Order: sequence, then C-alpha cells, then structure tokens
Amino acid sequence: MSTPQAELTTVSEVALALDSFPVVEPRTYLKVALERMEQFRLGVVCICDAEDTLLGVLTDGDLRRKVLHIQKPFSALFSDDVIIHSVQSATTVAPDSLLTDAVKLMGEKRIWDLPVTTSEGKLVGLLHLHPAIEAVLNQ
Amino acid sequence: MMADRISTICTRLNVPWIYKSCYDKDCRSSPDSFHGIGLEKGLEILSEVRREFGVPVVSDFSVPDWAAATGEVCDLVQVPAYLCRQTTILKAAAATGRPVHLKKGQYMSPWNMKNSVRKLEAAGCYEVLLTDRGTFLGYNMQVNDMTCFPIMAQTGYPVCFDGTHSIQMPTSMGNISGGQREFIPHLVRAATACGINALFMETHDNPPAALSDANTVLDIQYLENILSQAQIVHTTRLEILEKFGEDNVHPPS
Repeated sequence: MSTPQAELTTVSEVALALDSFPVVEPRTYLKVALERMEQFRLGVVCICDAEDTLLGVLTDGDLRRKVLHIQKPFSALFSDDVIIHSVQSATTVAPDSLLTDAVKLMGEKRIWDLPVTTSEGKLVGLLHLHPAIEAVLNQ
Repeated sequence: MMADRISTICTRLNVPWIYKSCYDKDCRSSPDSFHGIGLEKGLEILSEVRREFGVPVVSDFSVPDWAAATGEVCDLVQVPAYLCRQTTILKAAAATGRPVHLKKGQYMSPWNMKNSVRKLEAAGCYEVLLTDRGTFLGYNMQVNDMTCFPIMAQTGYPVCFDGTHSIQMPTSMGNISGGQREFIPHLVRAATACGINALFMETHDNPPAALSDANTVLDIQYLENILSQAQIVHTTRLEILEKFGEDNVHPPS
C-alpha cells in the first residue's frame, strides 16, 4: 500500500526527460522510428512537430497489429511515414497529475507508457511503467 | 518540325503541353547508336521551340555538369530513369532551381522512389513530377504495374505515365531496343483511368527514320487519336471521383 507521501508524488517527478525516450518527426521513415525505439529499448515512439506538439504515438502493440494486418511488402511498410501508422488520439497525462492516478490509468488502459503533455498539447516527458512502479514501491 | 505539328494538335484539343527533347542520349544500347546533337546545339533548338511556340521545354541530362546549362534554358529538368537514385545527379537537378521530372528506373519499386524524392527535397527541390516508363522487366519486355501511380502519388507529388517507352523491349533487337507500339493506346487508357496528372509520349512523323527509339515512338498520325482517348478517359475518371468520392475502398489502416 502506498503512503500518503507517495500519493502526493507527481508524474513530472518520475517521467523520463525528452532526450531519454524516442521522439521523431511525422515524416520519419517507419524503419527509422523502430530503430529509435530499439536504441532506447522502449516499446513506444512519440511523434511530434518542430514545436514539440504531440501528433501521435506508435507502440510495439500497434506495430504487431500492423504486421499481422497490412498486406504490403516490408520494404513498402518500412518506408512509410511513421505518422501514417501512429495512434493520433493517444492517452496522455498532465505533468502535475498524481503518480498513483497515472499508474492506475495505465492499469485500466493496459498500457506501459504515458506521454506527458501540457494543456497545450506539448510533449514534456514520458511516464514509463517500470520507474513509475519503482517510485511507488520506494515511497 | 515536330513541334509545329504537336502544337497544332494540342491547340485543337486544348491540351496543355510541354516539349521534350534530349541533346545527348547516354543510354544507347550500342556505341554505334545515335548519341544526340550535343548540349549547345540541343539547348539552342529547345530555346527556339520555346520562343516560337510559347511552350515550356524539358530535356534530360546524364552528367551533373550539364545540369546548370540545361536549367538555364529549360522550364523543367529531367533525370533519366537509369540515374533516378544517383545522389549527385539529383543534387545537380535540384540546384538548377527548376522543377524536376524524375523518371522511375525499372529496378526501383514505386515506393522506393520516395527515397529519391527525399534526396531532391534535401537539396531544396519541392517541385517534382514522377514518371513510370515501364515498371519492371519481365518476359523479356517491360511490365506496366498500374498500382505504381497511386503508390508514387503518396509522395504528394504529381505522377505521369510514359506511354511510349513503356512498350519498349530493351535491347530485344540485339544492339537496339524493340517495342510493341500496338499496345500504346491500351496502356495510355489504363494509366489515365488509374489516375495520372500528366502523360509523356515520344512522337515522330516517320518512325522508321527516327534516330532514336524508332521502335517505340508513336507515329504522329495517331497522336490526336491517342490524346483524344486519354482526354475522354481522364474526364470520365474525374466524373467518377465526383460521383463516388476518392478511391477509398478498403483504405489502408
């Protein structure tokens, strides 16, 4: 059970900083986006414009469904713009949200990552389930 | 002069047109084949056609050093299919500041043309026309895959069908290429129905005497016929889009 202190921890205290997870621009080749995911060893890539506005999110699960569903050669799929295959209405969380609420939300949605966005839709971080759980357990 | 006859036909049909000719053909099958009249003389003729008929002109270039001169005279510059992924050629084409007519090599998939487009964009060119001139080689001839047009159009740039080189049978005559001209109307109708923004054709008033591509050029006596057919099919396609909306049956998901 989490302590009262843990319940006061906010998302921004635990979220990964912008340079610690994959963020690409919409016209990035899908293959390059996957390479960025591999580089950070995360199952998610955020797609942002030049002003850091979050435009879409692509996860390992999205890719798995695409591979099973799309009837086109891999060379064509890999060269698609990543934005084509992203989810453009992804679940996000505000930086000042309580960590425990965010973890509950990830549980309800069965997801591993929550992009952290401002009220203007700017991406400021990523809440990954492992450090989030660790933070909750360490309180 | 061919331009005169083409101009008369296109004016009659109200078809906007661009005059294309090549001053140095660098992909002949044989060392003995006609190689062109050279850059200086060729560009002079293109200038003359431009002035006399008030039409845009285009020529391809095979050597990066020829790009600047070609771009000075021509309204757009063409990158030959064989060289469609050569970075140096693409950079030189972009540096002219002219729109680039980029032909798809038969060794490139339609979706792979995006890489060449990105090279042009990286060099500052954002006006591109993508042309299929026979999608790939098979059965000792060229095979035309009509899906190449919607796929190449996904780059956001207009697409074009080369209706005469597409019926070419590369080097089928030993030291020159052959072709099956009888299929020109079939393929032009098919490509136009599929959805293209421009049509490319080589034409000649005496094909047997043509110094290049004698087996594939369209006899100009048939040009009005083919263009008229393409016009009807294109108009019908636009009507179909109007009635049924964009081609969104089984959209990619």
